[in-house]
Amino acid sequence: MKKKLLSLVLVGAMSTAMLAGCGNSSAPAADTQTPAADTQAPAADTQTPADSSADNASAGGNTLSVYAWDPSFNIPALKAAEADYKANVDDTFSLNIIEQSQSSDVEQAITLAGSSGDYSQLPDIVLFQDHWIQKYVSDYPDAWMSVDDADVDWNDFGAEKLSYSTVNGVHYGFPVDNGTVVMAYRVDVLEECGYSIDAMKGISWDEFIKIGEEVYAKTGKYLLSMDGDGNDLIYMMLQAEGGSQFKDGKPYITENAPLVSVCEKIVEMSQKNVCYLANDWSDYTDQTIQGDMVAGVMNGNWIIPTIQNVPENSGKWEITSMPTLNGGEGYASNGGSSLYITSNCQNPDLAKKFLAYTFGGSTETYDAALRDGGVITCCISAGTSDVYNEGVEYFNNTPIYAQIVEMGSHVNVIEQNDAHYTARTHMAAAIMNAIQGADLMTELKTAEENINFAMGN
Amino acid sequence: MLLRLWLKEVFALSKKNASVLAKQHRAGWIYLAPASLLIVVMSFWPMIQAFLMSLKTGSSANMQWVEPIFYNYKRMFADKLFIRSVGNTFLYLIIQVPIMLVVAMLLAQMLNNKDLKFKGLFRTCVFLPCAMSLVSYSLIFKSMFATNGLINSVLLNLGLIEQNINFLGTTSTARAIIIVALVWRWTGYNMVFYLAGLQGIEYSVYEAAKIDGANAWQTFWRITVPLLKPTIVMTGIMSINGTLQLFDESVNLTSGGPANSTITMSHYIYQNSFGDFVANFGYASALSFVVFIMVAVLSAINLKVGDKRD
Repeated sequence: MKKKLLSLVLVGAMSTAMLAGCGNSSAPAADTQTPAADTQAPAADTQTPADSSADNASAGGNTLSVYAWDPSFNIPALKAAEADYKANVDDTFSLNIIEQSQSSDVEQAITLAGSSGDYSQLPDIVLFQDHWIQKYVSDYPDAWMSVDDADVDWNDFGAEKLSYSTVNGVHYGFPVDNGTVVMAYRVDVLEECGYSIDAMKGISWDEFIKIGEEVYAKTGKYLLSMDGDGNDLIYMMLQAEGGSQFKDGKPYITENAPLVSVCEKIVEMSQKNVCYLANDWSDYTDQTIQGDMVAGVMNGNWIIPTIQNVPENSGKWEITSMPTLNGGEGYASNGGSSLYITSNCQNPDLAKKFLAYTFGGSTETYDAALRDGGVITCCISAGTSDVYNEGVEYFNNTPIYAQIVEMGSHVNVIEQNDAHYTARTHMAAAIMNAIQGADLMTELKTAEENINFAMGN
Repeated sequence: MLLRLWLKEVFALSKKNASVLAKQHRAGWIYLAPASLLIVVMSFWPMIQAFLMSLKTGSSANMQWVEPIFYNYKRMFADKLFIRSVGNTFLYLIIQVPIMLVVAMLLAQMLNNKDLKFKGLFRTCVFLPCAMSLVSYSLIFKSMFATNGLINSVLLNLGLIEQNINFLGTTSTARAIIIVALVWRWTGYNMVFYLAGLQGIEYSVYEAAKIDGANAWQTFWRITVPLLKPTIVMTGIMSINGTLQLFDESVNLTSGGPANSTITMSHYIYQNSFGDFVANFGYASALSFVVFIMVAVLSAINLKVGDKRD
């Protein structure tokens, strides 16, 4: 009797699980039917009902589908653009935002489509990470569509940002956010040690280390932190010097004097408790920044929402430009993403028109994107609006957004390479080993060999 | 082609002149055919495809044969990171598997005691860790060993250490923690096999040993171990196989770091396909085949060593 009851419960649990599983997959299937119902293009008609997943392009009409991944950052920006286009151009327009759990999901969707040669599952538009796009355009050229003929004034964008989405002189993407690096300091901590935010402007890394040591001795806080295995400090610090880890498509490491000094500084900072290298990304954001371990944060300005997650520190932060090796204000850019039209787009004219109108420079889109998602534009004219010039309470009522747009216009254009992340991995490993006592030059030589090896040189 | 053969068999079966034995023989094949076909299509075909892919290179949209044809295989011997990952995996294997199997055996011995109370409870407790998802237990270990995590604050409050230790950020401790985590997760699993094996040993054998004056130590080595040999060989093969394919701990607990010092072979293969060394599917397939060969060779050795029949 007992056994029967038990098996009944088991069967019940299993069938519930199965039902739940089926329920999940049938829900998006129902979603896709709606756009299919009002299709006009006959070619698209055959594609939409053929698959039951939500991963497909919208079929004609006034609907576009787009992949994006951050519900508190880039999705509000897309919603802002949709509202803008709807209000000012075409009130029948609608944007179907398909949320992905992380940026790599979009990359893998392209990999999958490219590997199988079947691009019909892609949405009309994808949001794509800047550092990856060059690699993906060269690996899967059939997945993308040139947007050279879109009605956009490209000169109105930061040149550095455009250098990612332009491949061999052809424009493929519309910039969305801005990766300009901010150097944010806890002003209250600095004051405790006798420094002001202005004193930190334009200093050299040696001075930074000296101040950092004082701050650590007095308050126990590090002046900087970074993810040790995904170490972006090297890239950012080198870009501020105008240098790149690549030269003529090959890694340029051991003979690159500024790069070697940058690495030396990072090792020194880490050994002197000026910079804390966290074990991974979540350690970096949760433990060091939100866990109040640091008095300074240096990263792309998309890190600002992370800083703002600690409400009790409101008003205590301010931003400025980053230090450089020989002193003077440094500017760099890290991360960020752009919107790309896929080759599966059924209505490329609409997609180009929509993106050119909104992200091509509409103040209304960018103001709302900033307000709702904290997305900062790299479109120079849009960055001069009133919303950008408002003071931000969390940052002691300073107009940080206008400041960031202004800093963004100074960022050096440097040589980019497909192997950006490969280089980051190997360089981070070299730094970690050097901190644990290995000889830095030997480690850098190994890193250079490894990067060359991975690139097949 | 296969289908036609199968249909021919079916028709042959219906022919009157076939002998009963031949009929039965054919019937057996026909019953087996669908399942075999599925295995061939679902398992062997992808393996052949993977092998072909391991001889190619380039973006997965447009793969080319490499020149010379075994370049991908030759390449990995010059790949320092791959060699490092092989070293790491074997380090885990050599340290973790013996510890785990010995502990599992001891636990099984203890829990097999006839006079022990709450046996069921203890057995459940030891087995429980391996009912846990690999990802969640990795995350729990990660938060326990974080720089300001539980272990650090306990050690600090006991006065055993003066400063928080960055367990997962230092090569030696990060490796040690992976081994500890593995032992914690898999000991109970292996214990269950030993328990089952122990229960298959007749109690009278132990009684006879007792009458002959054997002590506990002798009984264990002379009776339990030889009689459990098939089980020990099986757990050995499974553990070696599992450890060589170790993935979740490396990815979730340490993400291969610090400085790739804890990366495993499977993690490196993943990195080559979907990670930072993006979409290098040809090379990743070649690596997978090498891991496959390693597992096969080690298991074969294990079988040979274990199979010492007189």
